[in-house]
Amino acid sequence: MVAASQDTPRPQNTRAIMTFLREHAPFSSMDDTHLAHFAEHASLRFYANDDAVLSPEDGPVRRFYIVKQGRIRGERHNEKDDKTETTFEISQGECFPLAALIGERPTRTLHRAAGDTFCLSIEHDAFVTLFSDSDSFRDFCLRGVSSLLDQVNQRIQSGAMASMGSSNSLDTPLERYALRNPIVCSTDLPVRKAVARMHENNVGSIIVTDDERHPIGIFTLRDLRTMVAEEKGPLDTPIGQVMTRDPICLTSHSDAFEAAMLMAEHHFAHLCVVDENHRLIGVVSERDLFSLQRVDLVNLARTIGTASHLRTLVSLRTDVSRLVDAMLAHGADSGQVVKIITTLNDVTVRRVLELNIKKHDPGIPFTWLTFGSEGRQEQTLLTDQDNGILFETPEGMTEDQVREKLLPFAEQVNKELAECGFTLCKGNIMASNPKLCLSGKEWDDWFIRFIDASTPQNLVYSSIFLDMRAVFGPMEPLDALFDKVLTRIRKNPLFQKMLAGNAITRRPPLTMFRNFRYAPDGKKRNLDLKRQGLAPFVEAVRVFALANGVEEANTLERMDRLATKEVFDPKDANAWKEAYSLIQAIRMRAHQEMLERGEPLSNYINPDDLNPLDRRILRESFRQAQRLQQKLEVTYQL
Amino acid sequence: MNHGRGNMLEHIRQWFERRRVGGAGALDPAHLPTPKSAGPQALSECRLIVLDLETTGLNPSKDQVIAIGAVAISGNVIPLGDQFDLILRRPELDISETVLIHGIGPEALTRGHETEDALLYLLDWMDGDPVLAYHSAFDQKFLEKTFKQVLGYTQRHTWIDVAELLPAFFPEARTGGHSLDHWADRFGLEVSARHHAAADAMVTAELTLVTLNKAHKTGVSTLAELTEKLRYYRRLKNMHRI
Repeated sequence: MVAASQDTPRPQNTRAIMTFLREHAPFSSMDDTHLAHFAEHASLRFYANDDAVLSPEDGPVRRFYIVKQGRIRGERHNEKDDKTETTFEISQGECFPLAALIGERPTRTLHRAAGDTFCLSIEHDAFVTLFSDSDSFRDFCLRGVSSLLDQVNQRIQSGAMASMGSSNSLDTPLERYALRNPIVCSTDLPVRKAVARMHENNVGSIIVTDDERHPIGIFTLRDLRTMVAEEKGPLDTPIGQVMTRDPICLTSHSDAFEAAMLMAEHHFAHLCVVDENHRLIGVVSERDLFSLQRVDLVNLARTIGTASHLRTLVSLRTDVSRLVDAMLAHGADSGQVVKIITTLNDVTVRRVLELNIKKHDPGIPFTWLTFGSEGRQEQTLLTDQDNGILFETPEGMTEDQVREKLLPFAEQVNKELAECGFTLCKGNIMASNPKLCLSGKEWDDWFIRFIDASTPQNLVYSSIFLDMRAVFGPMEPLDALFDKVLTRIRKNPLFQKMLAGNAITRRPPLTMFRNFRYAPDGKKRNLDLKRQGLAPFVEAVRVFALANGVEEANTLERMDRLATKEVFDPKDANAWKEAYSLIQAIRMRAHQEMLERGEPLSNYINPDDLNPLDRRILRESFRQAQRLQQKLEVTYQL
Repeated sequence: MNHGRGNMLEHIRQWFERRRVGGAGALDPAHLPTPKSAGPQALSECRLIVLDLETTGLNPSKDQVIAIGAVAISGNVIPLGDQFDLILRRPELDISETVLIHGIGPEALTRGHETEDALLYLLDWMDGDPVLAYHSAFDQKFLEKTFKQVLGYTQRHTWIDVAELLPAFFPEARTGGHSLDHWADRFGLEVSARHHAAADAMVTAELTLVTLNKAHKTGVSTLAELTEKLRYYRRLKNMHRI
């Protein structure tokens, strides 16, 4: 073998190959001795366009390949419609065929050269040596591209972590956070004794259980404060009379993220952890979840939800941005973070509405609707207002009379939301627009026209109005309305086809040769991550969701439901979810960086600024979007 | 001798070990490999040497070889474990005789090697296989002169000019010129270090792989057929000239 001393000058061609390898993951994180081993045992092969590189007929795979130049495409024959389809593409610096090589089986996919292609390869023996000697190589081989995705996430986290200094992950199962042997008592214990027990154990809560250890109530220091301040009773009152009944419970398999979201939504600081039989096994407090953070989700949501002035709400917006940093640092993925932002935005919207009702109640019951990205719960820090009102017309009033009362109120709310950082909608898709402040009957008519007389202009609005959600007020009127809308769309294949046609007008930014295509309206060499990257997913998924009666508005949830309904192959659904989340993650990281530099937020990035790994992952994600659009084309014969 | 895998420097050391045991410094050109002629060997199986020289100038009668870089092609594949990358040391700076006796490591061997030993090793490594080079006439003149001067070795290898091979198989290729760089650009190849003998040999070998792929598809499958194709191409070119 190699004379391994570090000062040995290696032959020029060996060094050149090591240099090439160093530019690509996983080799970029491998030791030089391992790279040298690879280079010295490698052989270089050439394949002309369309040459078969590896084929299922070749028997068990004995070589490991990396594309030095050119591309390889995977080709699978689809029995159903007797067509050959490209299942994947492998470009410079990427490796194949991992699964077959590890499994010592033939490849299932015919690998063909696309264009003039050179591959470096090593034989099984050299592969085994590297596999056993290099940790990063082994990790890559076993976990494939997902190990790279982890690297991306780790980097996103470590970036945010630098300012946080903590290492808890929100993916951690709840049982790790849960306090074992929680302090419990029965309903007849006097409050004074319960508080003494809490004090002894230095905890902020006590769980009230029945004989079988099922949690039936919770009593916290906050409850004690209220009890004393509002003189609800003497301290020897049995705790059963003052406890909060039916505390929120999660099983130990849930993760910290779910717990945090529940706490934020309900403004509770404690959750019970139970086993399958609903028996108490632990307690999690918000302090446990966010022990090291300066800003925490639950506290922030509570502060926003109880703010008494608009200016407090406005000042809290910077905390939201800081929280996003913290969340990324704590391992929340992009799907989690957009939900957190949406949750906090919802709380803000609700508080603005509540404060306005307190000041000047229009006296009409209404539901506040949000559309578009907020409707899908996919908001990032860069967010527009897209809202409307659905009202019940009180007896003896006309709809126009109701509007007279509601519109000035809505205008004030829109204005105040703008002060909180929700940009006014340029298209005037806001509740203060008389066309969007409608009764249930009017909304229904509106949707009938929208669906039955669909014009190209209507279709542009589909991305807004077909993703809607109620944020404030009674939910039932919207449920009833949306039910009718879904049925109508399901029965209208023509509308579906038009939606589908509209959904594929925005193509993922890839050229035929897997290079990036840049945004036509943006600066040179810029990609619009929202319009070119995310929109193809959102739009295509919406068509499938509406056509199949999926009520969810959130793109990831829609994909889950479509997989359950067997509209999507589960593997495809996963790949698409992952791809969508990664584009979102890269977009959010860009936003955080823009905030740090004090620049206005935009969705444009220059892929040249990304490292090779991110570029590769972005490219792969866009390719997944192409596949999703292909499915749409096949389904609707576009 | 197994050229297959592992490190070239290790091969050299072992080779010199054996040579020393068999009588140090004993030169016996008769026992060096005999060059093979271009016969019925299948291109998909035979071994080819792709070589590039760096010289002190362009005049073979005056200038000297200072570096030799070569890679092998075996069965349409370039095995990186089978390569040659040596800088020759000028005789007045030569210390390698003593170095060898003390069994010195690879570092000194690559830094520069006594010409005689290097050439003996090269001949042994080439194993009489056909030699390809870009504008091979130049390399052939220099190398044959050096073999003769230093070793008294006068047997002639089969030489094939890659500069001739490429247009013969890619007559429509628009390269905009006839240099190695033009062809490398045409196929999107990068030279890792320009005018480094081994790097130039590598890119020449890559171009040869591309050509062999095309040859296979056009029914040229043996060395004899390949040289025949070149002869035909040469005649055709001369006819056009007239």
